[in-house]
Amino acid sequence: MTMQTPLARETDQPAPGPATAATRVHRRVGSLHRTEPMYYFFVVPALVLFTAFVVAPACVGIFYSFTDYLGFGAWHFLGLENYKALVSDPSILASYGFTLGFALVTVVVTQVIALALAIGLTKKVKFAAGLRSVFVIPMVVSGIVVAYVFNYLFSNTLPALATSVGFGPLEQSILGDPNLAWLSIVIVSAWQTVPGALLVYTAGLTSIPNDLYEASALDGAGAWKQLRSITLPLISGFIVINTVLGVKGYLGAYDVIVGLTGGGPGTATSSVAMTIFGGFTGGDYAYQMANATVFFIITVLISVLQLAATRGRNLRLA
Amino acid sequence: MVGSRTGSIGTTLGRRGFLAGAAGGIALGTLALAGCATPGQAAAGGTTLRFYEQKQEVIAYFDELLRRFEREHAGVSVVHDSTTAIAPQFVRGQPADVGCFNDNLELARYVERGVLRDLSDLPSADRIRPSIAELGDQYAKYPGRVSVLPYSLAAAGVIYNKKIFADHGLPVPTTWHEFVDVCTELQKAGITPVYATDRDTWTLWQGLFDYSVGSLVDTGEFFRKMKAIGPDVGPDSEVSFEQTFAVPMERAKTISSFFNPDHATRSYADGNLAFGQGKAAMYLQGPWALGQIALIDDKLEVGTFALPVSNDPADRKARVNVDLGLWIPEASAHVDDARDLVEFLMQDEVIDAYNSDNLAYSTRKGAPAQTDERLAGLQQYVDDAAFYQGAGTFIPTSIPLGNYLQSAIRSGDFTSMLRRLDADWRRLAGRSATV
Repeated sequence: MTMQTPLARETDQPAPGPATAATRVHRRVGSLHRTEPMYYFFVVPALVLFTAFVVAPACVGIFYSFTDYLGFGAWHFLGLENYKALVSDPSILASYGFTLGFALVTVVVTQVIALALAIGLTKKVKFAAGLRSVFVIPMVVSGIVVAYVFNYLFSNTLPALATSVGFGPLEQSILGDPNLAWLSIVIVSAWQTVPGALLVYTAGLTSIPNDLYEASALDGAGAWKQLRSITLPLISGFIVINTVLGVKGYLGAYDVIVGLTGGGPGTATSSVAMTIFGGFTGGDYAYQMANATVFFIITVLISVLQLAATRGRNLRLA
Repeated sequence: MVGSRTGSIGTTLGRRGFLAGAAGGIALGTLALAGCATPGQAAAGGTTLRFYEQKQEVIAYFDELLRRFEREHAGVSVVHDSTTAIAPQFVRGQPADVGCFNDNLELARYVERGVLRDLSDLPSADRIRPSIAELGDQYAKYPGRVSVLPYSLAAAGVIYNKKIFADHGLPVPTTWHEFVDVCTELQKAGITPVYATDRDTWTLWQGLFDYSVGSLVDTGEFFRKMKAIGPDVGPDSEVSFEQTFAVPMERAKTISSFFNPDHATRSYADGNLAFGQGKAAMYLQGPWALGQIALIDDKLEVGTFALPVSNDPADRKARVNVDLGLWIPEASAHVDDARDLVEFLMQDEVIDAYNSDNLAYSTRKGAPAQTDERLAGLQQYVDDAAFYQGAGTFIPTSIPLGNYLQSAIRSGDFTSMLRRLDADWRRLAGRSATV
């Protein structure tokens, strides 16, 4: 609402009559100290929509986490009851353990693969352009579809292959093994998210001037030395971006897990997002709102920590 | 996966049928439009009723009924909609005028809070068989009210392949020992005795769990006591999962040893396919699977029997659920017309025709038998009211029973699962969860 004033002033400008070029320039310079009103045009709609459809519902949800609200009808104020129950609920704790572990492993796997591919593709590899398009394909397929396809591969194709070559450990689908099922989720999530990370790394790598490599080569640096002393330091900003976005994404893992294991076998692969959603269908709305609130805080903390830990050497060259 | 624990014909298929759901969505869109276009509404001053119904397979069936209702009631038009989610309509404060849903723990939340109108003074309420009328009360009852009128009763048991049984000279088992003998014989002959589909966890509780418990434990009574004991449930309380379900879970463990070797990774669709292809002798599924099996092989001769889990044949019971129940919300603005619609649907010939056409049982007194050969084996149990509502349907979805069963079948440790159920029950009761 406060934006009304500068906006109105801007539109009023031509009205006072034939302003001289000089006064117009003068006004422009003066307004440099304030924010250019045009920017509000860009920001306000998004801000309003974001507030109405994300912030406000989130606040309502946080409020209801202190009640026994069902989604309809009467409710009572419970104080911190839901939160107290959360910390002693083994299935909730297990879902946090799984989600954090999964996010950690997957983000490392994804970054290593994406970086290796990006380095390969920016060097003079044959068919680099064609390969690049191939690697990006997973990005355009929706997660649930990917999960169902891999579900079929893991349940049928892989065991059949393993049986035909007599490879014992894989003859039973890994989706049915509580100790291995998480691996399938890591594999599929990585398969799906490597392309995004790959694009960011490719952009980062092409921003490194070639003369640095040429100069270092003259000084006798080999490929490994170049990677460690030039490439990695110069793209550290991109690594941070990818890691932060990656962890954030994996913490919210939902569709891939639903399509692959449905949280099973047992509850071995139940992510936090899945338990939260279970609350909506299971009449546990307020309790899972408390869970969602805690999860939100944890996610924010992790992101802030990541940014803080890497601040100082990031993004400078990006 | 996600979804309410209902085991109804409608939701089981709807939940699973990704495409079916999409098709249903399109269908209901067109139907809603068709509803708006009826002349009834065009007439000035006409009433528009909204009818929500859960089963996608019977959208066309109900649509025809509703058009008939419109013809008989000038000035009233009915918008027909289908959804499996009850909550959104109530959250928006705009529930349907008449709901036609699975009567289960989910609907019980609405019954309990008194948002459904009393229907006890409708003439049709007195025509319902008392043994069926009280089923819904096992989940929840609002004092002094009949909140839901049971419309369709589904009965489930063990679906078996008659040809395999005949080829091996096997009788339909009537006691637990006979059942184990049959399974052992089949196994010797190299035939999978029981096809299980662990991947879709609901199939585990609705089949293995519910059938193992139902004939040994009075589920309605058990859960009434469990609710009363609440946070104090444990090995020493009057009833508990660990104590009361110990023997049933021994049965479940034995049955699971007769599963197909790849049960851990098979889904419900895989199960229907395999059973339809004659790859297994028995299948712990309800009538909703019969239609799917017929899609694979409509010549396959199948029958159904109630799983015997004790050595007294008289203990056998069938698993039932109120697949559809009619209700009118307090918030409905057209109560009189809504009641007319309920009465219309509850007419003897309408309710009987619906149920005989849809592999279910009419809920009124003196209803004719279900004539489908595949369900003949369960008729006696329905007639004698020798039935129970599955134990799994009493357990709130906050407790992932199906997932626990997956682990228990894998490890063979059902006792830990029962202890965990007790612990979860205590926790839910302790934090006054609204289930």
